[in-house]
Amino acid sequence: MGGRLSISRTGVWLALMLAWIMAAWWVDPAHAQIAPQPACQNATAPRTAVFFVNGLTTTLDEARLNAGKLELEFLNRLPAMAPAVRANCHLFSLNYNPTAGEVNDFMEAAQQQLDITPTRFWLELEGLGLFAPHLIRDALQGPMTDLNRIDASTIERHAAVYREQIAPPSCRRVLVVPHSQGNLYTNASYDLVFNQSPSLPSSAIRIVGVATPAQTVRGGGLYRTSTTDVLINAIRLIRPATLPPNTNWGISPLLLSPAYSGGHSFIGYLSADPSRTDILSDIEYSLSALAVINPC
Amino acid sequence: MIVLVIGMVWFAVGLTSCGGDSSEPPPQAAQESLAGTDANGDSVRDDIEAYIDMTYPVPAQGDTNRALRQFARAAQATMLDASDPAPSIAHAAERFRALECLMARRPADFHRVFVELRARVLNTTARSVAYLQADDHVSGNLPLLPADQWVGACL
Repeated sequence: MGGRLSISRTGVWLALMLAWIMAAWWVDPAHAQIAPQPACQNATAPRTAVFFVNGLTTTLDEARLNAGKLELEFLNRLPAMAPAVRANCHLFSLNYNPTAGEVNDFMEAAQQQLDITPTRFWLELEGLGLFAPHLIRDALQGPMTDLNRIDASTIERHAAVYREQIAPPSCRRVLVVPHSQGNLYTNASYDLVFNQSPSLPSSAIRIVGVATPAQTVRGGGLYRTSTTDVLINAIRLIRPATLPPNTNWGISPLLLSPAYSGGHSFIGYLSADPSRTDILSDIEYSLSALAVINPC
Repeated sequence: MIVLVIGMVWFAVGLTSCGGDSSEPPPQAAQESLAGTDANGDSVRDDIEAYIDMTYPVPAQGDTNRALRQFARAAQATMLDASDPAPSIAHAAERFRALECLMARRPADFHRVFVELRARVLNTTARSVAYLQADDHVSGNLPLLPADQWVGACL
């Protein structure tokens, strides 16, 4: 009797799960209209510019989605953040790091060495299969570690954007959230911002790096790298001074998926826990520090 | 307990690899032209249209269906104009609006939905190269709509 009951309960449980998945399959997920930030309704509320800087394996479209994911997760967390943070209006932008050439090189290397189709390449761009050691060595290692291969014009453009945000008439605080190779660009552009005149208050910019191949975060900024990030772990083997891992994706099912199994995807970092909570806490901490700064 | 664990694994795999588009991508159409076939002239390739309609059927998933068609049209224009800088920048902005619409419609899983679609759109080397060539023309920053305005980006 007990066994039959147990089987029956298990069956019901599995049936409920199946029904849930089928419902998700067949019906558009409910989507509530996203509310504007309360502070953005107030023209006199201070403004903070939040920039996402993409990495090497991130195309332009994915950079847009990454910035969107950052904004969505931030907005979900905002009501529980410190009052000083909620008093600011946060304006999200993308400081694009052009990657088309590197992605093309990576695709060519993957097609030659793994004989994979373009479709599979795009499905698994952030997957474990493409983060094979020889592919990392041939296509990713150089741009991820060699500072001489960083594009100077991109650094200048990023630095000019940050200066424009901080200086009058904008007078905004700036938070930069770079991913992967974007951390190298952000460190370099941070240096450039403060190597120009007129001088700007260095405390007006904070950095929260994600999946960083760098050995430092400028301005005493924060960072999060996962223990399961296959790409950064490979970079650390080559460059042992790379910042050590300090978060993880827990037992996220994303790590079983071909699309995310490399553990490097920015979307993955902001979907799995504790990495998502860690990054958002670092962002809240940094925004709290920025809130007391008057850039002008 | 064992059943529970098996159920969780099954559930996890379902979340990450099924979710409405469990079919494997069709074999590479290496011999196809860059433009492919668009028999009804709606600027969405027929194979992409069939994938969207099968995976996100109307009316149940009409919002997602329309958002993906919006992206597919912009991506198709992107590939066809890839050698020309000015249209490439304009089409990148069109793709951004389509992606903002998709994020409004599928805030929980927009990236997976996008990855599955883009892999089918870029199913030949020529299409992939054209897509990347177009991105190469975008050297500056494109404006983003704030999240509360994303739904307004839907056409």
